[in-house]
Amino acid sequence: MTAFAARPWIWSWIAMAAVWGATVLFTGGASAAGVTHAALTFAAFSVMVGIGQMFVITLGPGNVDLSIPATMTLAGTLSLKAIDAWGGGTLVGLGVSLLVGLGVGIANFTLIRALRIPPIIATLSTSFIFQSTAIWANRGIRIKPPDALAGFSTDMTLGVPNVAWIALVLTVAAWVLLERTIFGRRVLAIGQNMRAARLAGVPVDGVRFATYILCALLASLAGFLLASFSGGAALNMGAEYLLTSIAVVVIGGSSVAGGNSNVPGIWGASLFMFLLVTMLNTYGLGAGVRLILTGLIIIAVIVAAGGRTRTR
Amino acid sequence: MTFRTILLAGVALAAATAVQADTAEKRIALSNNYAGNSWRQAMLESWDRVTKPAVEAGTVAAADSFTTAENQATEQAAQIQNMILQGYDAIVVNAASPTAINGAIKEACDAGITVVSFDGIVTEPCAWRIAVDFEKMGKDEIEYLKGRLPDGGNLLEIRGLAGVFVDDAIHAGITAGVTENPGFKVVGSVNGDWAQDVAQKAVAGVLPSLPEVAAVVTQGGDGYGAAQAFAAAGRPTPIIIMGNRQDELAWWKEQKDASGYETMSTSIAPGVSTLAFWVAQAILDGKEVPKDLTVPFLKIEQADLETALETTPKGGVANVEYTQEDAAKVIAAAGGA
Repeated sequence: MTAFAARPWIWSWIAMAAVWGATVLFTGGASAAGVTHAALTFAAFSVMVGIGQMFVITLGPGNVDLSIPATMTLAGTLSLKAIDAWGGGTLVGLGVSLLVGLGVGIANFTLIRALRIPPIIATLSTSFIFQSTAIWANRGIRIKPPDALAGFSTDMTLGVPNVAWIALVLTVAAWVLLERTIFGRRVLAIGQNMRAARLAGVPVDGVRFATYILCALLASLAGFLLASFSGGAALNMGAEYLLTSIAVVVIGGSSVAGGNSNVPGIWGASLFMFLLVTMLNTYGLGAGVRLILTGLIIIAVIVAAGGRTRTR
Repeated sequence: MTFRTILLAGVALAAATAVQADTAEKRIALSNNYAGNSWRQAMLESWDRVTKPAVEAGTVAAADSFTTAENQATEQAAQIQNMILQGYDAIVVNAASPTAINGAIKEACDAGITVVSFDGIVTEPCAWRIAVDFEKMGKDEIEYLKGRLPDGGNLLEIRGLAGVFVDDAIHAGITAGVTENPGFKVVGSVNGDWAQDVAQKAVAGVLPSLPEVAAVVTQGGDGYGAAQAFAAAGRPTPIIIMGNRQDELAWWKEQKDASGYETMSTSIAPGVSTLAFWVAQAILDGKEVPKDLTVPFLKIEQADLETALETTPKGGVANVEYTQEDAAKVIAAAGGA
């Protein structure tokens, strides 16, 4: 039981497995491969933004990045526009999207640090700027990704979607970063007590700066891949990832107060979030019932995971 | 009215636009609640393209457009109150809610301002409404499918944003159509939020558990995403009703060239904002205009596909802009002068 309690992410995986089972059972097992494939594909995008959000939330109370949807839209729009204008294919797009991420991260932290605006307000305000920049840059026109890029983002390798492979590599890197590097320990230390961390000699500002940049880079990458995957960037393409990015962190068993996070939970929660909607769609429930059940089930999972940590 | 006839009518009448001296001093404002998708962007561009020449020609004194940042009714109510203070003579509004800004609309009317709502219409009786018969749009989809599939078949329904009246209205039309034609059966229903990527995600999730799907009924902005999901799942492409987006039309053309694929596409033209502009101008001009007007759909059929694709900007939405004469026709059709 103690080993169980030490793994708060286990609940998201249990919930995910239950929902997967319930969905597949509906068709007597015939849909197992199809459902799994779709879940891996779409969870990959949630995982990418979820990891970034997790690092930010780990920094402690009040730290959250609300500019993720706008960043995704901006990166998706500008990268595909750059490929369309300059040619050069995937590398140009990737470069532009990462530059967008870098710029977004710097802008966010400048407001937070230099102007001393709380992160929740700072990232909300910058998100208006990023969204407007995306509108201004392309007026809502969808530019198609080049065939090679569109093909790559929708294909699979060894039976697993390419985007899921990318998310998996990023997950492993994030796990190493959080659990096995000084940077990760510092992020956790700041989240547990910023003052104590500062007194212990942790370069608090530098670590927070790097964390916001990391989050923006992951959001940009996710935006670039999502735009390539779905046949072009749309102005509202990031909208559903605001709540998702926070939800997967919390459902995954990371503490929303910061200082205590885990990486595997992000995957469990991302798959769970997708499969939950799929299950309710499969059972043919109306939109109202579906939304109520989504809320109730998420609450149930969080309570189950939270109950564990209390008894510890 | 098909795409082609609207286009021809527009070309034929464009030359005959007369300057109305009576409204030369009048100022019209556009209150818009949202700009975050390609349809709304096209709507705003159409507004600019039509109203700028009208201002230059002296038909009206000003036609400024304003968009709220957050798509909130409270924000739009405040925006309308500002417009009242700024002394506009008419406010053309695409509302965030049919009821929530009624208070502000009433204030505007009481201040002697003409209010014309379109697309997102308001229920306040003092305002004019340029409405779309969304229920008919849903019914038309089933009508079309009846012609294509006389024996009926399984349908997948992609709905819009839950809780918005447009979604309920189109859904009601589809449901009514299916009830009248029992050969059709809705085997799955997902919410695509009128966005390609959301629709793609929802359809990809539900598809593995569905039997063979003969056709997909949609609400616009979701057809291409559905097509992608069917392709990714390796399933035969059903008849997918499209919603006039360029990527949908381009995909349709590709399929048509490759395999003779046939479907139809229907939606409201974003240029409906320009119809609302001319209606507001006509009211200011003292014309008798009934409170409820109906805007025709922009329907693209197999034969119109190439023309529509040529005139639609890459990545945009098929569009029609209205002239003063078009507005006069719509008003006459509703029984006005």
